[in-house]
Amino acid sequence: MMAFFSHARFYTMIRKGAEEMFQHKTGHIKSFTRQWQLQSMVIPGIVWMLIFCYIPMFWLIIAFMDYSIAKPMLQSPFVGLKHFEDFMTDDRFWRSIRNTLGMSSIKLILGFPIPIFFALMLNEIRNIRFKRTVQTISYLPHFIAWTIFGGIMLNWLGEGGVINQLMMALGLQDREILFNSDPKYFWWITYFSDTLKETGWSAIIYIAAIAGIDPGLYEAAELDGANRWQRMWHITIQSIRPTIAILFILAVSGILGSNFEQIFMLKNNMNLRMAESLDLYIYNMGLVSGRHSFSTAVLFVRSIVALGLLFLANYTSKKLTGDSIF
Amino acid sequence: MKHFRMKQGIAIILAVILMVSMAACTKSETKENTPTATPADSTPQPAGESTPNPDEPAWKLDTSPVELSWFVGASWYAHAWGESLTSKYVTEKTGVNVKLEVPSGEANEHITLMMTSGKLPDLITMGSWENAVKKLWEGDHVYALNELAEQYDPYFFKVAGDGTLKWYRQENGNTYGVPNDSYSPNLMHETGMTAANQTFLVRKDLYEEMGSPDLSTPEGFLNALQLLKDKYPKYKGQSISPFFAQGNVPYGMTEYLQNLLAVPHEQEGKVYDRINDPDYITWLKTFRTAYERGLLNVDFLVDSDTQVEEKTNNARYFMMVREWNGMTAVNPMLAASANPDSYYIAVDGPQNSKGDNAKLFPGNMDGWMVTMISKSNKNPERAIRFLTYLTSEEGQRDLFLGKEGETWELVNDKPQLKADMVELITTDIEKLEKQYGIMDTYWMMRNPVIINQWRPEKAPVIKQMEEFANKQADIDSGIYKGLDPLGDSDVAVAWSRISQNWEEVMPELITAKDEAAFDKIFESFLARRASYGFDKVMEYRQAELDVRKAKMAE
Repeated sequence: MMAFFSHARFYTMIRKGAEEMFQHKTGHIKSFTRQWQLQSMVIPGIVWMLIFCYIPMFWLIIAFMDYSIAKPMLQSPFVGLKHFEDFMTDDRFWRSIRNTLGMSSIKLILGFPIPIFFALMLNEIRNIRFKRTVQTISYLPHFIAWTIFGGIMLNWLGEGGVINQLMMALGLQDREILFNSDPKYFWWITYFSDTLKETGWSAIIYIAAIAGIDPGLYEAAELDGANRWQRMWHITIQSIRPTIAILFILAVSGILGSNFEQIFMLKNNMNLRMAESLDLYIYNMGLVSGRHSFSTAVLFVRSIVALGLLFLANYTSKKLTGDSIF
Repeated sequence: MKHFRMKQGIAIILAVILMVSMAACTKSETKENTPTATPADSTPQPAGESTPNPDEPAWKLDTSPVELSWFVGASWYAHAWGESLTSKYVTEKTGVNVKLEVPSGEANEHITLMMTSGKLPDLITMGSWENAVKKLWEGDHVYALNELAEQYDPYFFKVAGDGTLKWYRQENGNTYGVPNDSYSPNLMHETGMTAANQTFLVRKDLYEEMGSPDLSTPEGFLNALQLLKDKYPKYKGQSISPFFAQGNVPYGMTEYLQNLLAVPHEQEGKVYDRINDPDYITWLKTFRTAYERGLLNVDFLVDSDTQVEEKTNNARYFMMVREWNGMTAVNPMLAASANPDSYYIAVDGPQNSKGDNAKLFPGNMDGWMVTMISKSNKNPERAIRFLTYLTSEEGQRDLFLGKEGETWELVNDKPQLKADMVELITTDIEKLEKQYGIMDTYWMMRNPVIINQWRPEKAPVIKQMEEFANKQADIDSGIYKGLDPLGDSDVAVAWSRISQNWEEVMPELITAKDEAAFDKIFESFLARRASYGFDKVMEYRQAELDVRKAKMAE
């Protein structure tokens, strides 16, 4: 593919470019022109962002209107902060905040390290064929849509499902439990099913980062007598620290988000109490009940809070580890 | 060298991940889009055509090929156009080729999304109760059928019954949709065909082996469940689920159950708050007791459609609160299975304390679904003519009976399905619908008044349910169907908050640990309901009912 670069040149360019950008050794414009081949690859992404992320922002004004899809957008009457007041006083809104924070916290605290562990473990496997097989199998579930994966989960969790059979065979429970009907299980169901589906995929980015570590470092450490654990701790983890930091910052800023498809598939009337996340709430208000302005108002506030969280996480990370996005 | 290639691969993967993660973070923000105000009058009369004659169907004027997309608002609708004999015949005759589309999920959401994007299918058939129907009308997304008919095909007024047109006439004098399966009370009184669907079903062999227990009183109901649990947790090799209610909380356990209990709709001219009815509450408490004793599981509240279908097809439910017309395929199948008596029969289900018969919803003037012509349609003249044709007796006959000589013939001047077709109904309904496409394959415009005369005798296993429902239908209660406010007005928002809350509260009631907890949950629901603005909803229902009564009297 990128045959016109020699590989070595490719990497030198990236490294040099990064150094220049971060250390401000040369002017931005100069380094930018020198990297034009690389920079031009970003253009499709920027265009995409403009169209799908920036232009739609203009329509956030319907949060302040009584918008009806029957009428042209700008003819709807302005109502000020009416919708904001409405959702701030809706108990269901606060419930959805609680659920979102609950599920996100579990995912962040217990879920975030798992792909890192997985990547580290995988990195220690010396048999390349075995390593590749494990990696492939582990990220395959990612490509199954949640509509299907959710259906599989519902079957597993059902009365005659694998999980009930397993628990009963092991003597851990004496009768079948409809796991999906009890709200108290819901957060854990989302956590485990998400881990099951996404661990392999999320690990790819760490595996890639690990692969970029200079083998010379390991060789030197080995000569100095570092054992495997020490090499893992002092070289591998230290080298991928920036990657971990960036992903952590992004994860924190996404704490008000949730995996909509997953929750949509697994929720039902009985567990909705614990299942309705902010996203689902916005969906239920906007598309199910047809309150478009109302749900846009909720979305608006959510986005502002997420932006704030992003800054906060970035600042913290910068102070603690020295790594940050901006 | 190999090492470098791997790095290159990683770079690509990283790029992909970056793209994917960007996509993931913004998906929910792209909901809004500009709606398009489509200009209405951009359809010139095709050249070389004579003016339409009010006594002649106008579709004959132009039978050149044209394709119309047709959205059918039912995710389960699985028929195609163009493969079956009937569809080929109709296309050949009228030149109209139909492209059928169905929603992947909920029809209402699907159409709402399409409305936001401003691109709609040419023809739209949607449940008459759906929120989106009202939005399509109010938002001027569909043509006024009377205007189109005046311009292109006045024959429409002749075939679309005056009563139906009037029933759906809006305040501005326009009618936007044609219903199917619409029944007027007069017709029902005359024919005894009430189109009542609601039944209480039990699995026949199991029910009879249990000694046909009484299910109409709370005690009988609980005893039967106890017996089921003690003696028949497994029956003929299958584990049995005691109970199922169609449409979950909002339908099966609320409106439907209230109909079985003959809970009144109005008292002395005032709309009645049916949820607060003592008999209804008694029965909800009965369900709670059954759950507490471990006689019922909550599978009927959480199962997905697929899980329900799987259990039904294997006759794993003992009782069902379920419309019989959803069983027309399953029941013959079960009757033909290795357990020929494992099909379902209608019996008396839960009744009120006075032991009144159920008062089931009959068909009504609203009908089942309504069909509209969207303004995205580039050939509105062909669309209205096609609808006129389908509404007329000729079109009804073509769709229901198929092609003369192949699927039906004249016997004593009366059209009749051929014997091999009638046989297919019981032996291979799939072939009948897929290969021939007759009877109820294309029901979008079905008019029971016309087609019922051609309908062959139903199989006994279906007839039993239908007759049971007909007997218990409350013919004059059609007027109470769907009194609730729809759309995005304040009162509609209040109602949607209340009904969505009820969907959550009901499972809590059934799983409440004791009667006191039940009462407490119910009390707090009533309080919440009031705070959401229930009195406005009641006012709306009253006003709506008064309007309907006035319309009926006309």
